[in-house]
Amino acid sequence: MTCLPPAPPARRWRGEGPRALLWLSPWIAGVSIFFVYPLLSTVYFSFHHYDMYTLEFAGLDNYRYLLRDPRVGVSARNTLWLVAIMVPATVLFALALAQLVVRLKAGAGLLRTVFYLPSLVPMTAGTITFVFLLNPGTGPVDHLLSLAGVRGPDWFGDPDWSKPSLTLLSLWGCGQLMVIFMAALLDVPRHLYEAAAIDGAGPWRQFRSVTLPVIAPVLMFALVTNVIYALQYFSQAMVASRVASGTTDSPGSSFTPGYPDESLLTLPQWLFQAGFRDYSMGYACVLALLLFAVSMVFTLILLRQFRRAGAEEGS
Amino acid sequence: MSVTREVTALAARPAAPGDARRREGARARRRRVLLWIATHALAVTLALMFLAPVAFMALTALMTDEQALTSELWPRSWNWGNLTEVFDRSLLLRWAGNTLLYAALGTLFTVVSSVPVAYALARFRFRGRRMAFLVVITTMMLPPQVVAVPLYLVWARLGLTDSLWPLILPMVFGDAFSIFLLRQFLVTIPREYTDAAKVDGCSDFRTLTRVVLPMARPAVAAVALFQFFYCWNDYYGPLLYAGVQQDHLTLSLGLATFKAFHSVQWNLTMAATLLVTAPVIIVFFLAQRVFIEGVTLTGVKG
Amino acid sequence: MRFVPLAAAAALLCSAALTACTAGRQAGPSLGAPRPSGSASQALPAATIELWHGFSTDAEVKAFEEAIARFNQKYPQITVKATKGVQDDQITQAVRGGNPPDVAASFTTDNVAQWCRSGAFQDLTPVIRQDGVDLSVLPAVARSYTAFEGRQCTLPLLADAYGLYYNKALMKGHRPPRTLSELAELAKKLTVRDADGTIKVAGFVPSVQYYENTPSHLGPMVGAKWYNPDGTSAIGSDPAWKKLLTWQKELVDWFGHDKLEKFRKGLGDEWSAEHPFYKGKVAMVLDGEWRNAMIANDAKGLDYGTAPLPVADDRPDLYGSGFTAGTVIGVPKGAAHPRQAWELVKYLTTDTASLVTLSNALRNVPTTKAAMQSPDLAKDANFQTFLDIFAHPRTSTLPPSVNSVFNQEAFAAFAAKWERGAVPDLAAGLKDVDRQIDDKLKLSGG
Repeated sequence: MTCLPPAPPARRWRGEGPRALLWLSPWIAGVSIFFVYPLLSTVYFSFHHYDMYTLEFAGLDNYRYLLRDPRVGVSARNTLWLVAIMVPATVLFALALAQLVVRLKAGAGLLRTVFYLPSLVPMTAGTITFVFLLNPGTGPVDHLLSLAGVRGPDWFGDPDWSKPSLTLLSLWGCGQLMVIFMAALLDVPRHLYEAAAIDGAGPWRQFRSVTLPVIAPVLMFALVTNVIYALQYFSQAMVASRVASGTTDSPGSSFTPGYPDESLLTLPQWLFQAGFRDYSMGYACVLALLLFAVSMVFTLILLRQFRRAGAEEGS
Repeated sequence: MSVTREVTALAARPAAPGDARRREGARARRRRVLLWIATHALAVTLALMFLAPVAFMALTALMTDEQALTSELWPRSWNWGNLTEVFDRSLLLRWAGNTLLYAALGTLFTVVSSVPVAYALARFRFRGRRMAFLVVITTMMLPPQVVAVPLYLVWARLGLTDSLWPLILPMVFGDAFSIFLLRQFLVTIPREYTDAAKVDGCSDFRTLTRVVLPMARPAVAAVALFQFFYCWNDYYGPLLYAGVQQDHLTLSLGLATFKAFHSVQWNLTMAATLLVTAPVIIVFFLAQRVFIEGVTLTGVKG
Repeated sequence: MRFVPLAAAAALLCSAALTACTAGRQAGPSLGAPRPSGSASQALPAATIELWHGFSTDAEVKAFEEAIARFNQKYPQITVKATKGVQDDQITQAVRGGNPPDVAASFTTDNVAQWCRSGAFQDLTPVIRQDGVDLSVLPAVARSYTAFEGRQCTLPLLADAYGLYYNKALMKGHRPPRTLSELAELAKKLTVRDADGTIKVAGFVPSVQYYENTPSHLGPMVGAKWYNPDGTSAIGSDPAWKKLLTWQKELVDWFGHDKLEKFRKGLGDEWSAEHPFYKGKVAMVLDGEWRNAMIANDAKGLDYGTAPLPVADDRPDLYGSGFTAGTVIGVPKGAAHPRQAWELVKYLTTDTASLVTLSNALRNVPTTKAAMQSPDLAKDANFQTFLDIFAHPRTSTLPPSVNSVFNQEAFAAFAAKWERGAVPDLAAGLKDVDRQIDDKLKLSGG
């Protein structure tokens, strides 16, 4: 391949700064407009009352209200549940599924497709379908359970079961993770397993001493990113609450997010409600800063992962 | 990938003498057959469970109103009319059009704007390169709700709320996830190629379009697909900006309101759900390989 | 260099963003500006105005569009583009986003205080005065829910009154209950269950999550108060709420909460022909007067009766009263054609013939005294019940509050928790609702 006109004096690595700046300029502008500016502005609004009509200085009012708002504690507890149970459950399930599919001799391609597909089903569609499947009285799942003589719970309608129901949805949609894990597992050299087997290592020992060390970075990456996604958990919970509550969007019946009993309320939903339904935008900004602080903690953990990986790569 | 190799090397241990294997031959073979059966049986059972929700969705979509309110699983009559009734009862086509506009423009803008940024991050050496990459990851991980209030006010000020533009326009400036993904791929392209192009006197731009992009085709395709699906499935963004008027909704949002308007007409709701899901599945089958390769890419650590 | 235009665009957007932190878009022309002298209304310039309303069933939409058509005969130069099924959230969002319709109607009065105080809806007082509209033709209660802090930012367009509907066949000859104990007793008597306890027919669904059973609609049955005079919550201190909730929980428990929820979630849509009352699945329901019109459309053969809501056993004086509120209509801030919009609002809310026709079609209570006394107003026994409830001196509405939606949600969320049995101490729980409402009031500077 040739490019004309011919080469100017060979450029070395020095002096790439200005070029980089040129190439990055649109992105830098984007980060300034859509990240830096709104972040600073959020801090500013957090000290004000603002309903999109009148702006007035509020001092620490919004922060004081944060401490008194019972829904903050509720959503923190819900999010903790998602982080502590839903995320590990999903990651482990995806890993187990990947292990299973990697081991298949027949029909691996087809089954991989079957397990992957649900992750592509639009989130709203998937959530509505699960609410239907688990609907008490009319849903197929309770029907099948009753055939087995089990009385199914009220799933999305019971505060103790709503989060497990969403976890089922999350397991169903774990296809992306599964494919990632499959790739990592295929990275493990086969001869190591054979060697371990000859050593008399059982499946669990093989997993611990051969598989785990190889896939550990990928596993860690998956865990941290999924924790961060759990902190942003919004759409599934919102749609599930709305659909499961069975209240129509009728005039006068205003909707509280988090049905049942706020068991699906997460911080992003409460922020959305405060900012864009109640129009307490100053207070929403306080919630935004709280969300920012929490997700920053996990982002830093993730960044450390990257730095470690980067260091070992020697770049 | 080098981490992988190092860790693997640590885990390796001397192999045991080979005669152990021979002695256990028959028993091992029987065990292997049983294991084979168990593994496949488990996989098939799980696969059926994964397919069940879609199957029930489709079956219910074809039931009558009354039957959908019972717990029966198999339609007594096949009401294909439910599918057309969805179109009559909602603005499904309009929503699909809006969604398509959002997804197509969003994908186009994202790819065009993210490739150069990713290339610069992967290839150029400059002070602050690491910092820039950290910013990419931070913005990628930032919950969209954090900056929602000020941005909403900006778009309201520009008179662009009640449309999808507040979601599409930012993509002109690059999308963090896409930049991240492309950069991950581009760093794996050996420097020799780009250096050779430079020696030939190619400008950065020509190097990118003539040398790098052809090699990065799978990554670009994956980014495009991901972005398309992200936009197609997005619920939060359209809810915030385009949730006011029925004819401005996207499919995701419209589907959720459809349920609200037809509270327990599960057959129609499932028919609508089926109609929204089907195109996605079809696209997947057309581009299956790109998907799997792309997903694999997202799992690669820095 | 290909990025230069992009960078320029970025800079442009950047500066737009920086100037954007100050509030709102500039308002469109507003009402009350001095009008060229001597111009008759008919001389209004031609315009196309947008009207958003909440009516959604086919019959309602048709009736409302006919009313608009009559307006068009009077003002042929004004074209009205109506959008149906609009909810408050959408109106508020559109006004704040700067893309409001010219006229907006809401089924609830929940946001009136917020709209009046913030100026989201234009104060109609100047044009009311200019055009010499006499507000004393409106009942006092309707005036109270359409204005806030002296600003008449909406006008009432038909009112709603709430009462009891009962299915005569399912009543098995019983007369409608007059007290809560009678209601509970009859509800139990009329309920039909399977061997395993599955509910087939419910005498009365006591869940606060069931259709119209919101706390605001239930409160008048016991004369419960929402607010103290200073605007703080009275929910925890008014014993009437405790009485109501205790009664309600007792009935929920009689059904079994899980059984009742399963029953509730299998019921048809409130706004469709699948409504459980039409289908004979519930014997008695709390509902608005408009249900009469819907029954006439969707369940022609249904033999039903109406009565005032049962009241607390120790408050017989309340019998005959109920909850009332209504559709409100106004001109949002930023409307493109406020003059034409006002003419439409004025016509719909004050023209007797229009109100009567609309009322006859929708079976809503007309909101001017002249319309209420009009001989053309169709009156049958079932509808008369609601006219009487509306006129009853003890009939009440939800007092306006800027946090009305939040407060009702907080209370409804608590009530749902309570009926599930997740609240060990009712008094403490209600005090906590008080605290939430009062904290929120402080935050919004009330």
